Amino acid sequence: MNSNPLAEVLDGQHAADLRKAARALLKQPLLLARGRYADEFRLVRRHASELREWFDRNTGWSLQTDAEAARLRKIPGVLSDPTHPARDATRAAAPFTRRRYVLLCLALAALERGEAQIALGRLADQVVLDAADPHLARAGIQFTLDRRDERLDLAAVVRLLLSLGVLRRVAGDEEAYVSGAGDALYDVERRVLAGLLAARRGPSTVHAEAFADRLAELVAETALDSDELRFRAMRRSLTRRLLDDPVLYYDELTDAELGYLTRQRGFLTARITELTGLVPEVRAEGIAMVDPDDDLTDVRMPEQGTHGHVTLLLAEYLAASDAPLTTHQLGLRVRDLAAEHGGFWAKSAREPGMEAELVEQAVARLAALGLVSRTAHGVAPRPALARYAVGEAVVLEPGTSRMPAQRKASKP
Amino acid sequence: MTATTISREPLPYGFSPFAHLTVQNTDLYRQVMGAFVVAKERFAVHLRPEDVYTALPAEVRPPDLDALVKALESLVGWGNLRADPDTARVTAVEDFYRKRFIYQLTRAGEAAEEALGVYDDALGRRGALQAVALHDIITQLRALLVLAAEEQPDRAKIHLALDVLASRFAALADNARAFMGSLQQTIDLHDVGEEVFLAYKDRLIQYLERFIQDLITLGGRIARLILELEDAGRIEPLLRAAAAREAADASPEEADHAEGEAYQRWYGRWTGLAAWFISREGRESQARLLRGRALGAIPQLLAVVRSLNERRAGRSDRSADFRTLARWFAEAPDDDARHRLWRTAFGLYPARHLTVDAGTLAARAALPVPTATPWADAEPLRISPQLRRTGSYERRGRPRRVESREESRRRLAEVAAKQAAETAAARARLVTDGITRLSGLGELDPASFGLFLQLLGDALATWRPGMRHTVATSNDGSMGIRLSALADGGTAEIRTAGGAFRGPDHLIEIIDLTDGGEDR
Repeated sequence: MNSNPLAEVLDGQHAADLRKAARALLKQPLLLARGRYADEFRLVRRHASELREWFDRNTGWSLQTDAEAARLRKIPGVLSDPTHPARDATRAAAPFTRRRYVLLCLALAALERGEAQIALGRLADQVVLDAADPHLARAGIQFTLDRRDERLDLAAVVRLLLSLGVLRRVAGDEEAYVSGAGDALYDVERRVLAGLLAARRGPSTVHAEAFADRLAELVAETALDSDELRFRAMRRSLTRRLLDDPVLYYDELTDAELGYLTRQRGFLTARITELTGLVPEVRAEGIAMVDPDDDLTDVRMPEQGTHGHVTLLLAEYLAASDAPLTTHQLGLRVRDLAAEHGGFWAKSAREPGMEAELVEQAVARLAALGLVSRTAHGVAPRPALARYAVGEAVVLEPGTSRMPAQRKASKP
Repeated sequence: MTATTISREPLPYGFSPFAHLTVQNTDLYRQVMGAFVVAKERFAVHLRPEDVYTALPAEVRPPDLDALVKALESLVGWGNLRADPDTARVTAVEDFYRKRFIYQLTRAGEAAEEALGVYDDALGRRGALQAVALHDIITQLRALLVLAAEEQPDRAKIHLALDVLASRFAALADNARAFMGSLQQTIDLHDVGEEVFLAYKDRLIQYLERFIQDLITLGGRIARLILELEDAGRIEPLLRAAAAREAADASPEEADHAEGEAYQRWYGRWTGLAAWFISREGRESQARLLRGRALGAIPQLLAVVRSLNERRAGRSDRSADFRTLARWFAEAPDDDARHRLWRTAFGLYPARHLTVDAGTLAARAALPVPTATPWADAEPLRISPQLRRTGSYERRGRPRRVESREESRRRLAEVAAKQAAETAAARARLVTDGITRLSGLGELDPASFGLFLQLLGDALATWRPGMRHTVATSNDGSMGIRLSALADGGTAEIRTAGGAFRGPDHLIEIIDLTDGGEDR
């Protein structure tokens, strides 16, 4: 269509920018105009209308952009995945606990009612007031915030809000508050706060009592009373899973979904490839949209470092076994592996008694990637784990054959 | 209908002409009075009921003439109108038997209307600052300058010029006050309906832009003229002359101090005018305050828009939403459930994908794997043996250094500062200090010449066929130029480093609007 080389270059540039913007949003559904992701934000803003249309049509996710923030209100394709917890904004990135989740929501409720600025001490007071709600008391939640560990919890919540851009620190710091020596002052970014909830319905309008019903109602679409609407809902939910999740296994789908996917697979994956550059890996058991750029993910495999290495070695062990393995068996395996490879591991990982923790980390990582599943008796490999076949690669001699080019410098 | 006897007793306190405001049918009464006021402006003193009837707008017009006559009689009763027997010829018998009156405004009624007019004005006025007033002030100040230069200025002319100046200025100051007041009202619009606000917003912003522009361009010129008049005490004799003329009318017993008082009055007005346009002795000029106020109003308006948007965005009560979520998190059966709830409600999770390397991709492109192949049977992804053995890839090259742009940024800042200084210097060199000939400019350095060309361009852009004289302000409002064509057909030449610039000679005056008179 474009015979003119300049137009071609511009088209290519446009497509590349659009892809970058889409990937940035998938990686970070809330992008702020200032801070680390300012470049990505600008890119998204520039392509906002195209992205908005794509996401709305294919996933039903709405994209909101203004001068301060861009927010893709993602709804997961499956509601049963527990491997995306809220995490501390510290290096340790520990998953949130029950108390922290509750504190987070109470803090958000207080911010929502509050002024444009708030001090941590004042926020704490309001949270304590809200926590007196009889429903919370019945569930056994109580905050007085005069114990140090409670204040640590609140500080962790505030740090998460700071990292999300809901709060901006003006003066003081959380440490001083935790130790009881001082206070901190924040600006409240009301527009970021306003876009924080992604659910289709406000939770306060949901009256279901069972947990699963509550989740389902949060994201419920309007009545699907025509074939066209049902197909659209299916297309959206399948696209969501392909866009977000590492592997889509056919055995998790309903018959209707499987039928639709079988018919529309080429179309669905082509749309995703066009936007994101992800490549479909279609196998008998399912589809994985794999990433040649290796950065559209929060969990990597294979990965460097002690935990990455242990994960890789245990994956090899699990892939080779036909039956589920117990965590005890995996622990024993780690002990053997430590004898062989321990020299490369962090010192703390070689200490006796660390096996259970190493196994837990590795299994969590493999489970998050859809490569294993936890069962009542242990850990079962899932089909996609076979794509690594770690052992066989060793036959390659350094410098003689093609090497995986991913994420590494040239061979020595 | 027969006329009833009308009580002419005034209500207590003597404010009965306002009584029609507090009874039923106030609208009709006010419209009727309005018709009389309009008629009076056209020098029609008496009105018949039929005249009033046709003058009324359709929506308040009573169904028949009798109802109107009744209203007129009530107004007569309150003392707003006077009724006189109508002696005109009639053409119908029943008209003859009807008691007929013609009506006119009483003095009390007229005064009440005036008072109500002021009241409406004060409440209804949004405030406006007319550029016209500013232009008039400039004209009068120029006239005063000319008068001050005369040997024997005409007292009457001086008085007239000062009088016009004072009245235009009073109008301007009134408007400005109303304007400031209405700005505050606008900013307090937080509570009004959304549509009202949004409709008003665009108009206000447009108006503010025009207003600021007027004030900057014209205000600077006025300030300069004022300074010029005050320079070497030129204004004082003018004020004295005006005072003397005014005092000439004073009665014999007042004659002694009348002139002194009149002078004080004129002096006060003059200082008021000067204080309006020039900041001095640590007090900011009114014009500057206004400008700041107008500029400040824009972000405040935007804040209102933002709060409206937030209000609109909140469909359900989000605070309640968050409290509900807190309860759900507390009631969730286990940590996994809580993580699922977090993911579903907040949707802040990143996408997660397996990776593939270029080699594997290329191999697959060459030899596609059938889609029915199980994962276990397909060619696997190859893992670096080094990674498998040691847990890390081969030695990595040093990370690319992040380029520091600090240096270039500083250089840019320096260049910008230098350019600004050069422009200021060029501007200073270009100012002509009075009227001169183009040919008298002589030699210009490149910076000044560039600026001069721009200014000349701005001036010539206003030039129309047949014009002998033009005044223009540079695009950035920093300089003014006055250009008059000369009849002698001479040629001007301006030498620059890059060559000579030639053209027909003109009279030229270049004024720097940014220094001196302009308050900055």
